[in-house]
Amino acid sequence: MTEIPVKIPAEPKSAPKAPPKHAPVPSARKDTLLYLDGVSRSFDGFKAINELSFVLMKGEMRAIIGPNGAGKTTMMDIITGKTRPDKGDVFFMGDVDLTKHDEPTIAQMGIGRKFQKPTVFETQTVADNLLLSLKGERRGIPALFYRSNKPDRQRIDEILEVIRLERRRNELAAFLSHGQKQWLEIGMLLAQDPKLLLVDEPVAGMTDAETEETARLLRDIAVDHSVVVVEHDMGFVRDLGVKVTCLHEGHVLSEGSLDHVSADPQVIEVYLGR
Amino acid sequence: MPLLRILALAVTLALGALAAERASADEAQVSAAIQKFATADGFSGVEATIQELGAIGDPLAVRALRALGENELKVTPDGAVVIEGADALLDPVTGETVAEKGPRLERIRIKNSIRSMIDETISALTLRAADPVVRMSAADTIFAAADPEQLEPVQAALAAEQDPDVRRRLEQAVAAIQLASSDDPEIIRASIEVISQRGDQAALGVLLGYRNQATGEMADAADEGIEAIETRLAMWQAGQNIWYGISLGSVLFLAAIGLAITFGVMGVINMAHGEMVMLGAYTTFVVQETIRNSFPWLFDWSLLIALPLAFLVAGFVGLIMERGIIRHLYGRPLETLLATWGVSLILQQAVRTIFGPNNREVGNPSWMSGAFELGEMSITWSRLWIVCFALFVFVALLFAINRSSLGLQMRAVTQNRRMASAMGIRTPWVDALTFALGSGIAGIAGVALSQIDNVSPNLGRGYIIDSFMVVVFGGVGNLWGTLVGGLTLGVANKFLEPYAGAVLGKILILVFIILFIQRRPRGLFALKGRAVE
Amino acid sequence: MILGRFLAGGLKSPVILISMLVILGIGVLVPVLNLAVPPSSPFHVADHLVPLYGKYLCYGMAALALDLVWGYCGILSLGHGAFFALGGYAMGMHLMREIGTRGVYGDPILPDFMVFLNWKELPWFWYGFDSFLFACLMVMLVPGLLAFIFGWFAFRSRVTGVYLSIITQAMTYALLLAFFRNDMGFGGNNGLTDFKDVLGYDLQSGQVRSALFFLTAFFLALNLLIAAAITGSKYGKILRAVRDAEARTRFLGYRPENIKLFAWVVSAVMAGIAGALYVPQVGIINPGEFAPANSIEMVVWTAVGGRGTLVGPIGGAVLVNAAKSWFTGVLPEYWLFALGGLFILTTLFLPEGVAGLIRKAFGRRAKAPKGKDEETDQPVADATAGE
Repeated sequence: MTEIPVKIPAEPKSAPKAPPKHAPVPSARKDTLLYLDGVSRSFDGFKAINELSFVLMKGEMRAIIGPNGAGKTTMMDIITGKTRPDKGDVFFMGDVDLTKHDEPTIAQMGIGRKFQKPTVFETQTVADNLLLSLKGERRGIPALFYRSNKPDRQRIDEILEVIRLERRRNELAAFLSHGQKQWLEIGMLLAQDPKLLLVDEPVAGMTDAETEETARLLRDIAVDHSVVVVEHDMGFVRDLGVKVTCLHEGHVLSEGSLDHVSADPQVIEVYLGR
Repeated sequence: MPLLRILALAVTLALGALAAERASADEAQVSAAIQKFATADGFSGVEATIQELGAIGDPLAVRALRALGENELKVTPDGAVVIEGADALLDPVTGETVAEKGPRLERIRIKNSIRSMIDETISALTLRAADPVVRMSAADTIFAAADPEQLEPVQAALAAEQDPDVRRRLEQAVAAIQLASSDDPEIIRASIEVISQRGDQAALGVLLGYRNQATGEMADAADEGIEAIETRLAMWQAGQNIWYGISLGSVLFLAAIGLAITFGVMGVINMAHGEMVMLGAYTTFVVQETIRNSFPWLFDWSLLIALPLAFLVAGFVGLIMERGIIRHLYGRPLETLLATWGVSLILQQAVRTIFGPNNREVGNPSWMSGAFELGEMSITWSRLWIVCFALFVFVALLFAINRSSLGLQMRAVTQNRRMASAMGIRTPWVDALTFALGSGIAGIAGVALSQIDNVSPNLGRGYIIDSFMVVVFGGVGNLWGTLVGGLTLGVANKFLEPYAGAVLGKILILVFIILFIQRRPRGLFALKGRAVE
Repeated sequence: MILGRFLAGGLKSPVILISMLVILGIGVLVPVLNLAVPPSSPFHVADHLVPLYGKYLCYGMAALALDLVWGYCGILSLGHGAFFALGGYAMGMHLMREIGTRGVYGDPILPDFMVFLNWKELPWFWYGFDSFLFACLMVMLVPGLLAFIFGWFAFRSRVTGVYLSIITQAMTYALLLAFFRNDMGFGGNNGLTDFKDVLGYDLQSGQVRSALFFLTAFFLALNLLIAAAITGSKYGKILRAVRDAEARTRFLGYRPENIKLFAWVVSAVMAGIAGALYVPQVGIINPGEFAPANSIEMVVWTAVGGRGTLVGPIGGAVLVNAAKSWFTGVLPEYWLFALGGLFILTTLFLPEGVAGLIRKAFGRRAKAPKGKDEETDQPVADATAGE
């Protein structure tokens, strides 16, 4: 990651510019949790993200829809520091420039991510997966002397209850079903207690009942967290009942309530179909 | 292509040297005159005979005269004049063996005055030899000796000389002599000019010798000349280093290219790759043994016969390896590495058991032995052919991979295995053939390496780490990367050697690559593409 | 206090406890059978076998060190022989200095090879090695430092999988070439040998041999305990998480490069200690120990024993080396066939080694699904994945 120079555009074209450090936060970013402006990123000429602007307020939950290749995953990569944008501003909490930090730092700042393909630590137990995710010390050597303690155990118990895996706590994560792995990963997100949760296709491969459960779970989480959910399942998005952003070819095609977005003729053209 | 032109030129030159076999009509005359030594009456008779040989003016007499000067010209009991060699009696004209060494040889006696007469006659004869090459080397001998006594014969020869190259050498010889003997500053300055234009090691020697005794302006002039020569020699030295580097680089390329293919397509590291090279070298050995024993006249063709066989042998072993072991370990690259290491141990020990632990003799065909001079550089034919061969392999592979259907499938699998599989490419089949191809190429690399390296069971060991360095440096799955990687490392290695020594140079290269991988983990020419995770 | 609690964590598993007791038992038993039992008894252990068994234990320690990084962290090091040899050289340098005037040339300061090379004074990096404690410090410090520098760069730039394996191999190869040079000041080709005594006791005496054997067993048991404590702690869980899904741990806020670096350095130090105990028992250390083939052989000990089990690799090292001793005595030409076959068969049929086999035989449910190799599903071609 280090070898990619962070390219800062020589002449920012749009109004809000990157301020010098410690300058007062411009009003446009005040109260925003996530603020993307004019972000572009191309891979060998293919523009995965193109002049994308996206704002998430504190405490908000947002659903992102869009066809394959619309840039949803790349956008997540940029927010979490996995990919550097070629140009554009990415700010967290109004004044933290995310393009200047790497994945672990961004994760420690409070951005949690659930991947499209569930990635849990398969050779470890469900409880250990949560233990590793618990908010707190992230350095190696203190972990040598870590001792199991009551608050941590309680927190793990709570999360296990939320994600309904109490009875499988000592089983290896590898033995969970696909849906259970998705839940475990959401549980790991909860354990991190992040300010912002990025959830990529949480209900892919789930049964209808599981999908409903997941929607309920996410709504619960959204009560005291900000959440961005990427999902194809329109029924699920409707269940969430939140503001929707539709991406297409790396930029925002339409934004608003689900009804508004799904009535947009452009969205129908490129995504929903007639 | 300039390289091809240079090659053609070199071949023409070499053929020219062979054709210049002098057609001497007076061989019989010389021979008869030499025979007179047997009956020569005392010192005066010998002197007369030497004069007669000088008068004939054929350089064929030089061999006998040299032998005479070294007290090796003898008369046998039956009155024939011969040269007494180390272990046989030689014909004084042709130098061929004429008889076993026998007792009771009579020496032809000479004295010091005759000795100097011999030397003068020899120089004069060779300066007038029919072969310009001989004349040139005579001039060079005189140049290095710079003996004032020789000034007259050289000037006489210069007046008669037609060949411009030989003329230049003679002028240089005159200059060297004048530099040593003249007091005239004008002549000396002009001589220094002529000598420094010659610009080789011998010229440097002459000027340095003069510089030691010169003073004032003349010393400055000599210094200038020395500097000019040293600059020129340094450039030739650099050229020589580049050539060595290219030569080493093409060897590295040959050893690494098969590995680059298998690693690129399959993501598999074949630790037995060096042993495939070794198998190729041993195939060459077996082919040559068979030819030596049964078809000696085929020897010059032995390498061409060995090439396809080595490809088949190594390719077949590779195919068995892939089918038998590697395909079961797909997706576990580290385990593959270990298993192929196991194969390498077995192959080594098998070869050791069959052929013995010692180096085996693999000969150079005539067209690969010897060397020729290019300016101040010495280029061996074997190295030159290996460079050509490496280029040929590169072009052939480039063609195969970009034009053939297997090549297309291989590229598809390299870029996206799952997608290729979904498109109906039988990836296991592609894997097996790729592995066989990579191994086969290692085999033909072994044929080339057998010409310049010891053929022993440990042959492959020496190349495996270097090959990996080339592949990793050049970037995986890219033929151009391997070529550039091999040549770069080869040249860098040879340029470091004079400063750091061979071993330290190699260590520096290794450290450099270790650091390089940190900066660019995918090598110089990484395949590009969007991350798929 | 904290350290004690940390080490106690290693004893949670009864297998570790039992193994430690067995190792310590052997550490006592072999010297007793050698010294106290008369040679006529069938239970007597011959003199030459004590250092041989000691050598096996040293190899076991090296395999344990390798397992810590390969089994728990997925780093297949093909260069652990370098750490082993560096530890050995550090100890060898002290033993050289202890020879004093008893060398062939009788120089009180310079070792024989330096006199032979016409050196006038001790090179600076030999200073301090006359002190045993300093040498012991270097035994751990030098391999540890090399590992730290190497790992710092390698892990930071996210070099993984076979690339990492190959550069570890290049590392030991470069050291091999370096130590062959006479100018390096480590005895060149011949290495360091002709040791006389350690801490004033004659190395050839039976008591010293037995003491060294016991020490080796003790350090092996201690290192096993440390390794068990490390892998059993929360850090061990993080380590395995990094092994299985490095990218994922980054999004949890961990820095895999630092996590790996610690285990890597600890492992190198362990290998260094193994080398240091190896040298006085074998009586020589030369550049051959850096040979790439040696490092790869260590891998097969670990693989045969069962990686990721700590105890298994120790057994694997002893087993493979006992087999090697037997072969080189009886069928020397076939040893490489056997070793090569072992590489192939273990990887094909015994991915979990003998320890896995035993576990299966005892009917315990396989504890973990097959550990994933770090590059699985990630073909080399996916270039940007590595950036």
